[in-house]
Amino acid sequence: MPRWMPSVSAIPPAVMIGLVGLPVFAAIYAGLVAGDGATWAHILENRLTPYTLTTLATLILAAIMMLGLAVPAAWMISQHDFPGRAFFSWALILPLAMPGYVMAYAWADLMGVAGPLQSQIRAVTGLTAREYWFPNLFTVPGLAFVLASTLFPYVYITARAAFSMQSLATLDAARSLGARPLDLFWRVALPVAMPAILGGLCLALMEAAADYGAADFLGIQTLGVGIVRSWTSFGEPNTAARLALMLIALAAILLVTARLYQGQKGLHQTSTQWRTPGRTQLPRPIAVAATLLCAMILIICFVAPVLRLLWLASQSATRTVDLAPLIKSTLALGVLGTSGAFIAALIFTLAAKRTQTMKLATRLIAAAGYAAPGAVLGLGALFILRETGQALTGGIAITLLIWIYISRFTSAGVEPMQAALDRLPRNLDNAARSLGSKGVRQFFAVDFPLIAPGAFAAGLILFVEILKELPATLMLRPFGWDTLAVKAHAYATDERLAQATLPSLLIVFAGLAPVLLLSWRLSQTERA
Amino acid sequence: MPSIHSLIAENIGRSYGDVVAVANASLSLHPGEVTALIGPSGSGKTTFLRLLAGMERPDTGEIRSGQTVLASPGRHVPIETRKIGLVFQDFALFPHMSVLQNVMFGLRELAKSDRVRAAEKWLDQLGLTHRRDAYPHHLSGGEQQRTAIARALAPQPVAILLDEPFSGLDPSMRDRVREVALSAIRAAGVPALMVTHDANEALVHADRIAVIEQGSILQSGAPETVYRHPVSLAVARALGPVHPLEATDLPREWQDTLDRRSDTFWYRPEAIKLGSGIELIVKGSQLAGPVTELALALNTSAEIFAACQPGTPLTPGDRVSATIEPSLVFDFQSKSI
Repeated sequence: MPRWMPSVSAIPPAVMIGLVGLPVFAAIYAGLVAGDGATWAHILENRLTPYTLTTLATLILAAIMMLGLAVPAAWMISQHDFPGRAFFSWALILPLAMPGYVMAYAWADLMGVAGPLQSQIRAVTGLTAREYWFPNLFTVPGLAFVLASTLFPYVYITARAAFSMQSLATLDAARSLGARPLDLFWRVALPVAMPAILGGLCLALMEAAADYGAADFLGIQTLGVGIVRSWTSFGEPNTAARLALMLIALAAILLVTARLYQGQKGLHQTSTQWRTPGRTQLPRPIAVAATLLCAMILIICFVAPVLRLLWLASQSATRTVDLAPLIKSTLALGVLGTSGAFIAALIFTLAAKRTQTMKLATRLIAAAGYAAPGAVLGLGALFILRETGQALTGGIAITLLIWIYISRFTSAGVEPMQAALDRLPRNLDNAARSLGSKGVRQFFAVDFPLIAPGAFAAGLILFVEILKELPATLMLRPFGWDTLAVKAHAYATDERLAQATLPSLLIVFAGLAPVLLLSWRLSQTERA
Repeated sequence: MPSIHSLIAENIGRSYGDVVAVANASLSLHPGEVTALIGPSGSGKTTFLRLLAGMERPDTGEIRSGQTVLASPGRHVPIETRKIGLVFQDFALFPHMSVLQNVMFGLRELAKSDRVRAAEKWLDQLGLTHRRDAYPHHLSGGEQQRTAIARALAPQPVAILLDEPFSGLDPSMRDRVREVALSAIRAAGVPALMVTHDANEALVHADRIAVIEQGSILQSGAPETVYRHPVSLAVARALGPVHPLEATDLPREWQDTLDRRSDTFWYRPEAIKLGSGIELIVKGSQLAGPVTELALALNTSAEIFAACQPGTPLTPGDRVSATIEPSLVFDFQSKSI
């Protein structure tokens, strides 16, 4: 091979690394050097501290709620038999299909003064609306509830896997030493599964920190909301940059923590005798309680909000919404963004195969984009635009938006492709090369067919993620390019919830596809 | 210390659908004695252990500790309250607890300081004091094993059951670990059952042997007794190789020493002793560790197999003199061949 070959093959990944990484670094740079405009004291006192504290409070409450929703259900489902176990085992992943903002619209309507819950209370008690207390969704705990109810499946999935991977002999040993079922959970199963559970929790919290739509709708001043408002409403780009820096740091800490926990692969199990088929048969009342618990979680986090949206959508008000242009621009942006992110993910995956340095570099950059919330990347893009003296119009805006999609979601595409490669024998590649295959032929004859199963999943995930994306699209979309997510949010924040339901439902139904795919893949790996 | 009773299983049985795992099995485990339960894979030895431990409920029969009924058709003391210590093949230590914490796990009824003291006593007995604060993944296989035994013995169980306890260990350390482990168990004075598929381990290290096949205990007794007086071919086979020998093929000199009752004898290879007796031709010779396995021609068609230690290496065609040791020749008459 001529000496210049490696450098040529390194160009596409190098370009992609730059492309994916630039918006993040632009935002970080702006946050570090921002000097003019509002003074630092003002930012710190009026913006940074309150926004940060609100975000942290939300995350802490959401963490507690997610553990409460996910861990008991995962324990029951992985270790015990009860009516509906097999159904709940996958159905509890469904809430992932709901973007936080859609969950917020649905529950805001369900819990509103005129909503079904409060109406029922008044009908039963005969009290008026002022005479009883009812939880208010438009609060920090309310936001935490909304985010927890869509994101808890991350914790559920990891907890379930960790519990079912535990050595049966370890649990039997504990029982022979006198541990009752609750002891077994608290003293043995939970501590052993804890690293995996915390890993899942950190990822879920990272997603929660990236939320903009739910917090904005509920009027909670989180960092995500603060970034968008500082730029668009207050005209304080430096404030936005500082808030973005804080949010990136928070997300990075969560991502690194998650990876550290995941690296531990659970505590070192000295026991190799993995689970045998026997799940504990529960006594009747406890089995019924387990079924009720799972059913309640599913109703609260998926069935009730979706049914409410369907009911609202069936009302007359929604007919005034013209969906056609929304779907058109959503599809256009979705297809463009998916193509871009797909190519980037493909280049990253193939580059990671070549050298360890490349692998590390692509992982790091993809992770940086993944951890950076949409609002931060949108801000990074706006800074780049300002530095280059361009205006946010037409083609430039669309290009910028596609770029941000690529930056944010490439890692979501790399993951399934990498998984497809990891399942293959290590020496397959070397075998192909020893048979004289290289370059373009190697790509089409060997690499791509191998990645293909993962590539389909990657394409689907990318498309749905882009379709759900709100803050960056909101910040960068050119005039006339409202997507379903943007319009739903606009209606909802305008208190025209009925009009928001139809676009919201479309997003949820699209979101079900990758969730069902994920659920199917999990059941495959569990069986393996 | 509470008085220790025998652990008795009487006619216990357990089926899974149509599959009978344990049928009518009876066995008594006596305090201070290690009983080896030996049988081929699928013979029901693990199910038998799980029934004694309380992980499974017997369909029939009764399990007692002394006079206390642990399991019967109408009664089932669950594993959590049965107080039977368990040691697994893979040790099953709690990965998130230190050695000391593992051993303290079953001592919840004691006050904290008593718990530490009791656990430390067991660590001392099993030579683990210096590993007190180590976590399982830092321990060697032998240390993990000893921790598992200390953990099982610490709550003063009414019996201890060990499922293939030494087969996961490196052969080089197995003997030493077994020595320490079994002497600690004997010193504790509880009835012990050790499930194994290793006949040698059972013969050398157990006080009693029970042979299980197709879910039934075929014979139990002292190793010497079971080895020399197996009640069936299955028992004889479970403890070492046996070979058939047609009575008609027997040399006349040997016929006089054996008490013939049936047409086929079964003999252990070490029953054939070299040095004196009748002359036989070596057909094959194979070194097998400390002994050499020989195939010797009895006549034109029949061979016998001997395990012995010849003074010089033998090759096919050599001639040797051999006698047969009657106590290692079995005659099961018509049954169970």
